[in-house]
This record gives sequence, C-alpha cells and structure tokens, in this order.
Amino acid sequence: MSNDATPWTPVEFEARLRKVGTERYHDKHPFNLRMHAGTLTQDELRTWVRNRYYYQTRIPVKDAAILGKSGDSAFRREWVQRLHDHDGRAPGEGGLELWLRLAQAVGLARGEVTSLTFVLPGVRRACDAYVDLVERADLLTAVAASLTEMFAGDIMTARIAAFERHYPWVDAEGLAYFRSRTTVAPRDAAFGLAFVLEHAATHADQQRCLDALASKCEILWGLLDAVEAAHRQPRLAPHALLREDKERPGHLLAVLPERGVRVSESGREILKLCDGTRTSDAIAVALRNRHPEIEHITTDVHEFLDQMERLGVILRDG
Amino acid sequence: MTDEEGAAAPTPRVWNLIAELTYRCPLRCPYCSNPEGFASIRDGLSADEWGRVFREAAALGAVHVGLTGGEPSARRDLIAIVRHAADAELFPHLVTAGVPLGAAGLAPLRDAGLRSVQLSIQDATAAASDAIAGTASFDRKLEVAREARRLGLALTLNVVLHRHNLANVAALIALARELDADRLELANAQYDGFALRNRDALLPTREQLEAASAVVTAERQRAKRPELQWVLPDYFSGRPKPCMGGWGRGLVVVAPDGLVLPCHAARDLPGLEFWNARAHSLAACWNDAPGMNAYRGESWMREPCRSCPERARDFGGCRCQAHRLTGDAANTDPACALAPQRDAITAARERAVDTAAWVYRGS
Repeated sequence: MSNDATPWTPVEFEARLRKVGTERYHDKHPFNLRMHAGTLTQDELRTWVRNRYYYQTRIPVKDAAILGKSGDSAFRREWVQRLHDHDGRAPGEGGLELWLRLAQAVGLARGEVTSLTFVLPGVRRACDAYVDLVERADLLTAVAASLTEMFAGDIMTARIAAFERHYPWVDAEGLAYFRSRTTVAPRDAAFGLAFVLEHAATHADQQRCLDALASKCEILWGLLDAVEAAHRQPRLAPHALLREDKERPGHLLAVLPERGVRVSESGREILKLCDGTRTSDAIAVALRNRHPEIEHITTDVHEFLDQMERLGVILRDG
Repeated sequence: MTDEEGAAAPTPRVWNLIAELTYRCPLRCPYCSNPEGFASIRDGLSADEWGRVFREAAALGAVHVGLTGGEPSARRDLIAIVRHAADAELFPHLVTAGVPLGAAGLAPLRDAGLRSVQLSIQDATAAASDAIAGTASFDRKLEVAREARRLGLALTLNVVLHRHNLANVAALIALARELDADRLELANAQYDGFALRNRDALLPTREQLEAASAVVTAERQRAKRPELQWVLPDYFSGRPKPCMGGWGRGLVVVAPDGLVLPCHAARDLPGLEFWNARAHSLAACWNDAPGMNAYRGESWMREPCRSCPERARDFGGCRCQAHRLTGDAANTDPACALAPQRDAITAARERAVDTAAWVYRGS
C-alpha cells in the first residue's frame, strides 16, 4: 500500500474501525458466548474472574503510559480520569476494587486473586502484550488500541442480564463493575474516537490505527483462549509417537510428523495425566498437590501444556 | 522442559531417513524430483533389507522415516516395510500420490504402524490437477485424504506450485480445510531435474508470487488450521534455500537401489562416490563415503560463502542447483543475490512465458 494514498473520510474511517469490532471483538469468542448463554460451570466462571483481574490491573498501567505520551494538558486532564476510575480516589474505591467484589461474589478469596499466583501464563502473555503494544506505540496508535471500549458498553449490558438470569448464585452486588462500565466505557470511547478521527491525518495513520485496534482485539481474544483452555481436557495427539529418549535416560521423545520434542521427567509426569478425562486445571492442581514444595508449579504446568499444544503433542479440542 | 530436534546441531547426526522405495510412479508430473536416469534404477532392496536400513538408521539417531519414491504404494510389500519401520521405533510417514494406494490401502498400513500421510495434489480441481499429473487421479486422492483423517493419521497435503496453479492458492487452502488437513505445504517448484527442463513453462511471475503470499498471510490470520507452509522460492527471494538442512548434516536419503545420498538428486552430480547400503553399513555410507563428505561442513566453500555470516543458516544453498546452472557444484548457489553467477537466475525469470509447453516425466 502506498504512503500517499488518499485518507478515508472520517465517516468511512469510523465505519472501518467499527467493522474491526464487528468482526473481531471478543463478544464473539466461544467462551463469552457460553458465559452469556449461562453454560459456564462455577469453576470456569471463577477462572475467568481470577484471570481477568490481571487484565484489570494492567489498565491503569497502560493509561499512565498513554498520559506520558501527550504534551497536551487538555488531553491529559481528560485521560487521567481513567486512572481515577480504576484506582479510585481513596483505598476501597474504583474499578479494581469493584472487580475484587465480583471475585468475592463468585466465591474467590481476595488474597488469592490479588496475589496473581494463579494467573494463567497465556493470560499473562496477552495482557503484557497489550501494555507492551501501548508502551511502544505513538500516542495516536495507543489511543486507537483502546477503542475496543466502543464495543464494551453493549457487552456489559448483555453480561449483567446474563448473570442475573443464569448465575443467580452470584450476589447482585458483585455486578457493580459491569454496571459502572455501561456508562463509563461509552464516554471514554467517545473521547478516544474523536481523538483518533481528528489526529489520523494520513492514510498510513489510519491504517496504523486499524492495525492497533485489530491487535488489541486479538489480545482480548487470546485472553479468553487461555481461560477456555484451562478447562479443556488435553489428550495426546493420536499420531504422536512416544518413546524413550535413548540419549537422555528418563526423558521422553515425542515424535510428530514434522518434529521430535524432548520431554523431561517432570514433563513426562504431566503428559501421563493428559488422558482426555482431566482438565488442564485439574492436572495443574494434581501436580501442585504432589509437589507442594515447588513454587509456581501450577504456572509451570499450564506453560508446559500450552507449549505441548503449540508443538502438536497434545490436543485440547473439546 | 523441552527442546526441538536438530536445532543448530554442531555435528552431523541422522535425524531423518528418506527411504525412496521405488522410482516407479503412475503420475508424470513435469516437475518430478527423481534423478534423470530413474527409469533404469531398479528396486534393489527387499522389505527385509529395508528393515535392516531402518534399524541402522535408528541406531544412528534417526527419529523419522519418510517412505517415498516415486510412488511408494507401487511396492506390493509396503505393509511389511511400514511394519519394519515401526518395529525400529521410527515414526513412519508416507509420502504418496494416493495412487495406486487408494483409500482402502490405508487401514492395513495404519495397523502396521503408519502415523502420518503426506498426500500430493497437483491443483484445486480435478481437471487442473489431472492435467499436471498426466493421469486421472484427483478424485481418488481426495478419498485417500478423507480416509486418512478417519483413521486418525496426521495429514499433510502437498501441492507443488508454479505458473499454472499459483492463482489457485485460496482454493487449495479451502480444499485443505475441507479435508481437515493438519498441514498444507504450498511448495514452490524447485527448478532441478525435470522442473529445470520445463522451467520456461513453469516459472511464475513475481506478481503471481506476491498475490499468493498475500493470500497465505490473510488465511493464516483467519484460522490456525491447517498450518500453512509457504516460502518465497529461491529464484525470487534473493536468498538460497538451506537445501536438505545442509549436505550430510541431519538427513540421509537411501535410493531404491540402496545408494546412500545426502539428497534425492545428488547422484546426478559428477565425480562423487557414494556407497550402497547393500554393500556397507549405513553408518559407513553416512560417515565415510567420499561423496557424503564432499560438501559437508564449510571447508569446501569459496567466496562469497566462505566469509558470509549467512552460511550457518543456508549452508551455501543447493549443490545440485549450483552444478546445473554454473557447471560447478562448489560454486555459490546462483539463487543467492551475492553469487557471481546470479545472471543464470535473472535471465531465467525473464524467459518464462505463459505459452511455453511442458513435457511430462517419461514412464
């Protein structure tokens, strides 16, 4: 694409931004569809709340980075509002606090959530990728990445209805975060959108904004992928050949059509549990119970399973 | 907790055995990679002799065996050969055109230990595919693909790409998805052997390649499956391909007559002495045959390869291509933008036309 292409009109550019959301926003992710259809188990809902908390903690960090990119006090005055929204003006206030109330309402202990000990590595990767994207971006692109807020108002309204209808065991007070976002997200999005429409002067600027918004959608999608995978039941790929690694006693060689993968003794112990009956989460818990002395073992187990899936040794398809 | 095989192994070590079981094949593709004199090379190894080769390869460290040809299912003892491979604890991978195999031929092979199938198709529709194959085979190929998935075998589809089918990459991806293939190899033709003879008819344009590349990029984003393998061909990338992962480095070919080679085409290089697995141990053929050591490592290299930082990645490119296009296998592969004989590639790109006719591989 050439740099001197004519920029889209603001109307057309906005339509293209919205189209990214229509096609790629995580309201269409299978896990979100199941949440809203009421078919998540209590465990699945807890995993989502516990993990999504990590995302919530990254939002003010991301917004502080955006603040630092602007030399315009009017912009900063507006944007700093987001920090107040999430962190509150005093302890016990703000969006993060509301999320912890949701956590308690679904039956999680506050400390377990705030410790971040059980954040899935895939979720951590996705959220860190967002902060990284914003930190490396220029102001315009960073603001464009935040425009998923344009689609957030609707998802929150749907979510409140779904929780009230399908998950009556979650105390209504726990839904305060969702309620707050139904008004705040559209307000933030309106400011962000106006900023992007005004400052994306060239076709290349506009394309960069679209790309950033698409990347952000991908990040949110990846977060739900990781949450979903934790409750799937890994099994060995049917064509994988497991044999002893003759060069490394005790190790396994998992042979696949395109590669061989060396698996250590600890990996071998995890693979043995991948029989299609246990969830990734259950396998992580089993390993933690067996080896309570190993720090971060659940994270290691999830990381290993993610890697095995990526390499094709295990399948988590159902 | 893991590492992948073969990553920058400092010393040669057999990871992968390519077992060319026969050069017979019902297809007549104009880009066939078999050596020139294939018709006179007989199937020299019995199933039991292949069994010995498999055990020796496993002892040398091999993990995979690709059962290929020609068309491996032209051998009536293929089931016994697969069983030997599985008994040697190798991962048996069948590289087939799907004929004469047929869908019914797969279950006995799976029961004998087959794990994975690579099926070639020549284009996305029966008419176009059969026109390149020189024989009606497309519909039977699709039956083989479906049966492979039904049996739980890993499935790779392979399509050799050229001027006459590059426009159909999107349709090929859709077909691979419909067949639930694990992997689709969009393999741009390598212009050696028969393909070199037909180069003017097969070599694509840069525009065709760029369009196909854009399709692949978009489709990779759209869905994880199938895994799409696509590499810009060496004639256009300016970089030579890391041929066979380096001469005699991780991969060994045993030809139908038992000759042990660093690649499927190396027997056509003049002046090289390779040994036969019927007369020597596979270890001796791999370690000590003079031809196997001719271009191993880096000491054979001339400038600009000798001092090039890329040499650890591309190993100086393809010896056969250097020989065919420059007359000397020790020259830098002219696919490299730095090669003194680079003209051989640029001139060929300009000569290719839509109207050139191809000749089929003889039978």
